[in-house]
Amino acid sequence: MVRAVADDAAADGERTGEDPEHFVSRSRGRDLGVAIVALVVLAAALFRPLLEDLLDRPAIAHWATVFVAIVVQAMPFLVLGVTISAGVAAFVPGDLLARILPSRPSLAVPAAAAAGVALPGCECGSVPIAARLVDRGMLPAAALAFLLSAPAINPIVLVATAVAFPGRPEVVVARFIASLIAATVVGLIWARTGHDGLLRMTRRRTVGEGPPLSVMMATAQHDLLNAGGFLIIGAATAATLQTVVPRSALETLGGAGVLAFVAMSGLAVIMAICSEADAFVAASFTAVPMPARLAFMVVGPMVDVKLIALQAGTFGRAFAARFAPLTLVVAMLSSALIGWWLL
Amino acid sequence: MSAAGGTISLLIGAVLLRLTFTGTYGRYVRVGMGPWLAVAGLAVFLLGLATLLRSLRHSSAAGADAHDHGADRVGWLLLAPIAALLLVAPPTLGSYGVGRGATVDVRAGAPVFDDLRGNGEPVPMTLLEFGQRAFERGGASFNGAEIELTGFVAETEQGGFELARYQIACCAADATPVVVRVTGLFGDVPPRDRWVTVTGVFQPGGDPIPRLAATAVLAIAPPNDPYE
Repeated sequence: MVRAVADDAAADGERTGEDPEHFVSRSRGRDLGVAIVALVVLAAALFRPLLEDLLDRPAIAHWATVFVAIVVQAMPFLVLGVTISAGVAAFVPGDLLARILPSRPSLAVPAAAAAGVALPGCECGSVPIAARLVDRGMLPAAALAFLLSAPAINPIVLVATAVAFPGRPEVVVARFIASLIAATVVGLIWARTGHDGLLRMTRRRTVGEGPPLSVMMATAQHDLLNAGGFLIIGAATAATLQTVVPRSALETLGGAGVLAFVAMSGLAVIMAICSEADAFVAASFTAVPMPARLAFMVVGPMVDVKLIALQAGTFGRAFAARFAPLTLVVAMLSSALIGWWLL
Repeated sequence: MSAAGGTISLLIGAVLLRLTFTGTYGRYVRVGMGPWLAVAGLAVFLLGLATLLRSLRHSSAAGADAHDHGADRVGWLLLAPIAALLLVAPPTLGSYGVGRGATVDVRAGAPVFDDLRGNGEPVPMTLLEFGQRAFERGGASFNGAEIELTGFVAETEQGGFELARYQIACCAADATPVVVRVTGLFGDVPPRDRWVTVTGVFQPGGDPIPRLAATAVLAIAPPNDPYE
């Protein structure tokens, strides 16, 4: 038997658990839920001609395609992340990670950042995993360092970067070092000054109990819907910004120096493209100086509108409001430093 | 929202599987991602099915879905892409995004090409290769051979049009266009966003956009793999 964690749900549980009124509303709520799903599908079917008319407008069609593309592209990675997260919830005993991992931030944070090399995937998958690691007793600062580094420095991303910049291995090296430094520094800053209380672990509540497989299933189901829902918000935001703000608007800003640097970082935040693809996009900005393109590749996997939505949904809005700006600033500084040194 | 959640997962899985097996997914992501989408779709479908069955079996026990919190409600948003994809699959990216940003850099890492040897048949190639050949040795490798390019019309002009096709690395969100200028047309120019196969010969010129002097333009249906 595995009893999965439900710490901060304890209060909720006491409030709702034995209340007969709640039982009634629960089961009514469930029927209502299924009814709503059916209704939405039906309504969409009725309004189909309207949708088709909308898609005849190029801007709306462009938005819809980018939106659906981000969601479809993220699904395999999200499923991978959710599976790993649910597996950890079901099969890793509650205190194991806390016992075997170093507890000193100065050791744990760099180690976790470096461990990001081992998770091939893009950023959508690493959010549920990091949340689960915190839940299982990993030092939050270390889990956050892992969250930032995994999408940026895994082998698939590095190989993609090498392909996008043929004959320029220094770009791959610069990306690796700048991302690792940024993830470690953010982790260490969080360890010193961050408020772990801000990590509202909405996810802890659900897991349920029973044989490991059933815990795994319940967790996966919950994480998938939760992360998936926020992914939708992020994808819609990114698609809107991509449609409304043409890339050329930011590129023309990208003449030189600091302005180019800021413009490319901003572009990385609003484009929200997969970390496995961003090197190819960075390569297409031929007029932009190399350090600014590096910033695009370092910032993108760590801060973008899709990730901010996922982080806000997983760890709470108050957390994301501090963590995202901190990460953005550190990632920009790190790529400025490494960019002007190596590129 | 256990039963409703299971239903949503079931629908997501079904939509992903449908996208994969109809080939429609090629409009949104790299065609190589097909197997991964199928695996993810199947996993989500089975997860939803199991959750739904379990929730129905435990329908009398309120404990089954004992955690209906606000955090779960966001999952409803997943119905948006489900509804969109089940009913009207958004089209492939078209001319709207061309000219709104950088185009593919044909100079970066362009290979050195062998000269084409004409055997009378037009040589099909990607717009990217056309651009790279045009850049390398000023297009000498074309050797006067007839070339066949497939893409969509991005912009029409007098006596020709801009032919474009997107390169994608991961999904349509990272699409970057490659553009070739098609010249030498008399009479009607195909409208914007029409997919065409153009046959013609490379035309040297000082233009940053490589040129193809067309001998034939054939309207076609959008291909299954619309990106390069």
